[in-house]
Amino acid sequence: MEFETGRSPAVQITARQRWSIAITYILIVAGLALGFNQRESTLNLASEYNNLEAGISAKYPARWLLEETGSFIFRVRDMAHRGFNTVIEVSAAPVGRDTSERNVFDQLTLQRSQVLTDYTVLGYDDYLLADDALAVSMSYSFVARDSSPFLEGVSSIVNGLDILTIRRGQALVVSFRADAEIYQRELETLRWFIQHLEF
Amino acid sequence: MQPETRVQPNPPQADTYSFLPVWRSLALQLLILTSALLLIVLIGEFIQSRFETRIDRALSFALVALPLMLWLYVSVLPESRVARPRRRLLGVAVVSALTASAIGLPLVQDFFRVQEWLPLQSVLSRILGYTLTAGFADAGLKFIVLRYLIYPQGLRVRADGIAYAFAGALGYSGFLNFAVVWQLEPSWNVSAIYLLSNVTVQLASSMFIALGIIESYFSDAHPLVLPINVLVAALSTGLITGLVGGFMSGPLSTAGNTDRPLFAVALLGASLILALGIVYFLYSNSERREREAYMSQWNPNGI
Repeated sequence: MEFETGRSPAVQITARQRWSIAITYILIVAGLALGFNQRESTLNLASEYNNLEAGISAKYPARWLLEETGSFIFRVRDMAHRGFNTVIEVSAAPVGRDTSERNVFDQLTLQRSQVLTDYTVLGYDDYLLADDALAVSMSYSFVARDSSPFLEGVSSIVNGLDILTIRRGQALVVSFRADAEIYQRELETLRWFIQHLEF
Repeated sequence: MQPETRVQPNPPQADTYSFLPVWRSLALQLLILTSALLLIVLIGEFIQSRFETRIDRALSFALVALPLMLWLYVSVLPESRVARPRRRLLGVAVVSALTASAIGLPLVQDFFRVQEWLPLQSVLSRILGYTLTAGFADAGLKFIVLRYLIYPQGLRVRADGIAYAFAGALGYSGFLNFAVVWQLEPSWNVSAIYLLSNVTVQLASSMFIALGIIESYFSDAHPLVLPINVLVAALSTGLITGLVGGFMSGPLSTAGNTDRPLFAVALLGASLILALGIVYFLYSNSERREREAYMSQWNPNGI
């Protein structure tokens, strides 16, 4: 046990100490504001994608992974997210003059219900594109599992939204998929993506 | 001519009381905690032990309770044996844990979403990013808790500042540890690294905040001393959090990459020693200066 001469608990803080506390609060708020600014600039940093052959140009989040090999024109994935990676996939297919949007969606549903677990269509709606043209959207959900059974991961529910427009004999489908837990939040990224998509 | 008389004023009535030494108990707890966690990491590294999931989880939760139990036994219980104990230790720890739960973790995880954009940045960007987000959020909240619970009414001697800051750090890191084990369900040896990381980050940051409060209150230091200490506290969080991930991950090779938990433990141990060493040096220095000033004021002959 030690003994020391201390101050009385009745001692009040001085004007200098009041200033010091006020400056500390200002510093904390300023630091957090700078952190918010850094977060915004990093999250909103965009890369550009151009495909002359398909006549598509788009912007996508710079931190997302771009892929061009597969049954799509291109797709971008958020690899930093744990579990199911949020993905935006752009694909196109030639269609006949009499083909309606619903025909294309039914075709997609037939294909997906064979490869995706518990694939369920949730509904159809209109979607306004950046150039004020009206597209059609289809929302759906399915269960995603880890590709490797040895990872012992838990399956996650994925929500998806397809936006379809038919132009110049081509059906252009923008497929957006995200973990159901973050789906609503990630929809902002899709809206931003659609705003900058030109074809 | 009247001879000049020098009136020597009497010393003020000093408020003298007993208190528990804080540095010794703090060092003892950290030594026991670090040794126990290092042992667990070594067991995981070399013996490759695997328990049933239920046992693994129970061991992880037991590890979360370890620093708190140690603190209760070494720091809190002995307070009841002194004449004027530090009565708000438990209060500071509980309020800090609640603050971490209600504001700290949601702010960093859901608002700043650091886990989505910071781990992939360069080292410098990571350090800066963690300083400006998690660093300022944690340091700010812990400072506010100390400001409203103990500053100035709970401060009688300098050691009080350290004791309360330690309580705040343990409460805050206690909730973060609980959240990590609850959300990620890591194996018990991985939990040990998370736990050491959280305790080190929060303790280093709290010690700098305590130093700022002590200097500001007991030495009536320049108004910038406290904010500078809070800035250093945030920077310590940024430095340790930004570097520990890089130390933990092994180099990428054709055989894949492996974790290097011992590197992470070494970094965390070194950070803990460095932060506590700096704070202890500055604390002792200012305490010595105050004692010398007191002695020279009331004993001009040095007797």
